[in-house]
Amino acid sequence: MTGAVAIARKSGAIDADIALPTGGSAGWRVALARLLIVTAIVGVWEYAPVSKQIKFWLSSPSKILGTLWGWIVDGSLWSHLGATLSVMSTGYVVGCFMGITLGLMLGFLPRVYRVMSPYIAAFYALPKIALAPLFIILLGIGMSSKVALVAITVFFLLLNNTIDGIRDVDKDLVESLRLMGATRGEVLRKVLVPSALPWIFTGARISVRYAFTSTLLAELIASNRGLGFLIEFNSGNFNATGSYAAILVLVIFSVALTETLTRMQSLVSRRKN
Amino acid sequence: MKALDHATSRDKPAKSTFNKINLEAAAKTFHMRGQSIRALDPVDLHVDPREFVALVGPSGCGKSTILNLVAGLMPPTSGTVAYNGMPVSDLNRSVGYMTQKDTLLPWRRTADNVRVALELKCRDTSRSLADEKVARMLELVGLKGFENHYPSELSGGMRKRTLLARTLIYEPETLLMDEPFGALDAQLKLVMLDQLQTLTRQRDMTVLFVTHDLGEAISLADRVVVMSARPGRIRTIRKIDLPRPRDVFKIRFTEEFARYHEELWDVLKDEVGRGTEM
Repeated sequence: MTGAVAIARKSGAIDADIALPTGGSAGWRVALARLLIVTAIVGVWEYAPVSKQIKFWLSSPSKILGTLWGWIVDGSLWSHLGATLSVMSTGYVVGCFMGITLGLMLGFLPRVYRVMSPYIAAFYALPKIALAPLFIILLGIGMSSKVALVAITVFFLLLNNTIDGIRDVDKDLVESLRLMGATRGEVLRKVLVPSALPWIFTGARISVRYAFTSTLLAELIASNRGLGFLIEFNSGNFNATGSYAAILVLVIFSVALTETLTRMQSLVSRRKN
Repeated sequence: MKALDHATSRDKPAKSTFNKINLEAAAKTFHMRGQSIRALDPVDLHVDPREFVALVGPSGCGKSTILNLVAGLMPPTSGTVAYNGMPVSDLNRSVGYMTQKDTLLPWRRTADNVRVALELKCRDTSRSLADEKVARMLELVGLKGFENHYPSELSGGMRKRTLLARTLIYEPETLLMDEPFGALDAQLKLVMLDQLQTLTRQRDMTVLFVTHDLGEAISLADRVVVMSARPGRIRTIRKIDLPRPRDVFKIRFTEEFARYHEELWDVLKDEVGRGTEM
């Protein structure tokens, strides 16, 4: 039960933020309604009179939470969560860093970009998940092949957004700074980067989700650890309860991720205004 | 002529360095979608150091093109453009150019926009001195209290004044101004003209000033250049012998001003008429 309640409380918290200026009572009523819906679904799922066979495929909230509790107690949940997180964050950081750096360089060297652009476009268009089997051959079944897949997904998103951001810069702004005597480096720092920054932020925000999806897909394809493995492993053993429990963990993880991103974004935009 | 003699006796420069800005038969043709548009017929224009020259004429007569040539934003199609006796081949870093376009950096507040030129390595201004200059300049252009506003939060006139402050703050030896006060109301425009006169005299600036407004041109300029409708050509250059400092608020009501205005308006009105026919 704790997981579902945590989600309900979480969405209640978001709502209270929005409803605060207009008065709290309406916000509480919405939160109550949401709680009722969750309770109703969980109740039906738990106590619905169905055959044993169907029960096997549907499982029940108490069994799911029981399994989840078992994973928490024996520590396996944390090791799977940790594996997923470390693949995702390593790939994300590497991809962001390389994408932004190369994007700035290409944005600043338009002639080089003109030469490279068809290749970049071709790689950008390629669904990166198709590279996963190749990475497994090249880098093995361990963490590095997954990190590579996440990194390359994030890399192209950031590369494209950074280049677009720099190419979108108003040429008149660059010209006016150059006339004041700015060096190329100063133009980069004072005009190009600040102007491309919203594009880079957008790219960084969007690619968190892509990094998450890529990590999961890589784990589903071949792995021995991680949330994707947990789902794959339990489904493979016809353990519906285990699969549901793993998906529940995934839901909580995704909500937490989205929440963090939203908070960070509102923090950034508040600072900007 | 007196200034010219003075320069010769003092440092005997080569002939071409007499003038700050020298356009010799400079012409400009633009090519757009297979069409070529003659923006500027060959033009000769010579501007002395510390001189204030106003360019007036109908829209599309090549006034802005002349400024772009002097700033080195584009090369002439034929003829030469020289600055301080040297042909302008790249961006001309000795000029402060206030274009018609709004080139404020949208992510910087008013004070930081005005400060930007002082942050550059080539100026090397200390933080405290820059703060002081920015504060003084903002007060001068009437933007005190708006230091922390972003450009999107300012009115059109305020943005123009911020641009003016940003151009004036680093005291370029030559100012190129393309209808800088077009968006201002009449009273504020006079205040700004007055400030511009004071500043440019104080700092011995050379000014090339493009405007629609003949009155504005006569109030400020040492010489007024009347240009013809496209393709741009110089119709008349008139020296304005009004004593300095000029009272821009009242000069319009003097007899001499009226005489200049009538004389130049006679030339200009034909061109304006032709400009609208086209």
